[in-house]
Amino acid sequence: MEGRYPDRVLPYVLVAPSVIIVLLFLLIPSGEALWQSLSRINPFSGQATFLGIRNFVVLLASEEYRHSAGVSVVFTAATVVLSLSTALAMALLANQRLHGIGIYRVALIWPYALSPAVAGTIWALLFEPSTGVVTYLLRETVGVAPNWMMSGRLALLVVVVAAAWKLLGYNVVFFLAGLQAVPEELTEAAAVDGAPPWRRFWAVTFPLLSPVTFFLLITNSLYAFFEVFGLIDVLTQGGPARATDVLVYKLYRDGFVSINWGLASAQSVLLFVLVAALTIFQFRYAGRRVFYS
Amino acid sequence: MRWRCAAVMLVAVLALALVGPVRAQGPVKITLWHAMGGARYEAITKGIAEGFNRAYPNYTLEPLFTGSYAETLTKGIAAIRAGNPPHIVQVYEVGTQTMIDSGAIIPVTDMVKPGEINFAEYIDPILKYYTVRGKLYSMPFNSSTAILYYNKDVFRRAGLDPERPPQTFDELEQMGRQIIRSGAARGAVTFGWPAWIFEQMFAYHNKAYANNENGRAGRATKVLFDQPFGVYLASRWAAWAKEGLLIYGGREYAPNRAFLAGEVAMLMQSTSQVSTIQQGAKFAVGTAFLPRIPGQPRGKSVIGGASLWVLKGRGRSQAELDAIVAFFKYLNQAAQTAQWHKDTGYFPATQSAVKLLEAEGWFTKNPNFLTAFRQIQVGPDTGATRGVLLGNFVQIRDITDTMLERIFSGRMTPAEAVRVSAEEANKVLEEYNQTYK
Repeated sequence: MEGRYPDRVLPYVLVAPSVIIVLLFLLIPSGEALWQSLSRINPFSGQATFLGIRNFVVLLASEEYRHSAGVSVVFTAATVVLSLSTALAMALLANQRLHGIGIYRVALIWPYALSPAVAGTIWALLFEPSTGVVTYLLRETVGVAPNWMMSGRLALLVVVVAAAWKLLGYNVVFFLAGLQAVPEELTEAAAVDGAPPWRRFWAVTFPLLSPVTFFLLITNSLYAFFEVFGLIDVLTQGGPARATDVLVYKLYRDGFVSINWGLASAQSVLLFVLVAALTIFQFRYAGRRVFYS
Repeated sequence: MRWRCAAVMLVAVLALALVGPVRAQGPVKITLWHAMGGARYEAITKGIAEGFNRAYPNYTLEPLFTGSYAETLTKGIAAIRAGNPPHIVQVYEVGTQTMIDSGAIIPVTDMVKPGEINFAEYIDPILKYYTVRGKLYSMPFNSSTAILYYNKDVFRRAGLDPERPPQTFDELEQMGRQIIRSGAARGAVTFGWPAWIFEQMFAYHNKAYANNENGRAGRATKVLFDQPFGVYLASRWAAWAKEGLLIYGGREYAPNRAFLAGEVAMLMQSTSQVSTIQQGAKFAVGTAFLPRIPGQPRGKSVIGGASLWVLKGRGRSQAELDAIVAFFKYLNQAAQTAQWHKDTGYFPATQSAVKLLEAEGWFTKNPNFLTAFRQIQVGPDTGATRGVLLGNFVQIRDITDTMLERIFSGRMTPAEAVRVSAEEANKVLEEYNQTYK
């Protein structure tokens, strides 16, 4: 390494842009959030009163926040399981040699290209309690048309399905790539040994897919936990009766609707700790089971 | 070649830089951030802003749509913090207390010289809503109230008299049952802005919503919707939801869809939607006063909508202040006020505009535009009917919306939901009163 750069300044100049960006857009705002989380702030004057950890105490003691955390966990788990399993099934189908397979693949990947607002609007229109297509079909076929605006569980289900659908394209792409990297000799050898298709999948293909699955597990959890704001805002605004009020949505309500910056900053600090913990946990424990060929 | 090109560009840039200040000598520019979507967008940009700019060539008003009311308020606050806010921002009625306490505004009474605008000419309830402890803080602009819209065709199909909408809760229930039984519609009633309809019912029956005379004698420290009237009201609505009379359709304007699709026979919604609903409906639309609860005292429905607030920024030049006052004077002209009403359904806010509309025969031709106007003029003027002022009302409205959802979805009993939500709201008030000392 020694002597590769002729002078001592150049390396610093080269890394400077990244350092500046990190400083400007990550470290300084994070520091500010930390400071604000310990204060009560007048949004107009910016005048802050130091409160110590009071915001955190208020949050953790509030039933609303704990409820929100619960909703987030249920939402994330359901979304990730639903999306990963459907995506895997679809990737398996799309991995076959079929006529017009290109069209199927494009169609599967499509939802990922939609913005959250568009995806949310589509699902909101489908399930609209009085004029939605799904509502209409259900009423005509089964005779009941549940109003998800009056049922918290149903609303959560709709949001989960929408989020899983939104993730589907992304997951299918990775699973497809993973499947195509599985050497055909291995599955053929298993077939020659008389393993039925199901067995071939579980014993050969799935373990070889585990790095991809693990990667998707992390990215999907992060998405479902932290990036569903747009979808929720368009579909339910956290309602009805807070049934879909995930942590990021509650943060938005407190910070940007109620303009309670101290409390909102405290939530963002907690979220930051949570995402770090989640990632470490997943790499420590789930990561061990991954089989990198 | 390349050098010559660069030289030409450099000269051009320098020339522009020199011309720049000269250009700034042109009309005085003022900006207006607003939340008027839909049919109202055209009315404010094409109608009002372009009209003003034509009438006052020395001034330029630049309107900018900044999203929903809540988003506009948030953006306004962010701009105030950044030190570069718009000259005027439109804030909905729930932001009134926050704006008064912000220290970032110039009250209208302090800007307009006596005699420049005759405020006495404004419709009384509108003027009173935005006048707090003797001071008019913001310029009345788009005022509304809630009324009952109903589908005359559905009424006819159900065997009801389409010219006789329900006047009481009891009648609404009976007619609603008949409508559903006859199959004319799937539901009887739905609410736009449900928490606001809940607030309306308090004023409409002369009940205070918060202490300190609805927050008008001093800052409110406690909400009063957990008093027996609130519990009673919530229980009546809970029964409607349980019976299937009430179909909850979400917040703000979303419930319009169910009404316009003919799924629900009646809609309690803001008058600002008269134009939109009449244009969107494929049936005869009727409007009526909100139904009353029999046996309760008479009050008055309360003003909603928004008003225009002048923001200080880092100081405004006299020319800018003059431009703002000129704009307010323009808005106050009978012809403009009347046109805004026709375009949207918001109140014609001044007596002279009403006279103009009457002379044109507008109300005879468009009776649905008159309903709300008549409704806010009957009933006593008391502390309870002047409209409640609450700190961080935006959040409290979210709390009461949630309360209603808890009730309609059956997650809580009305009494429990009302109690829990009042506690939440009182905490918000406490927090607010500590933040803005």
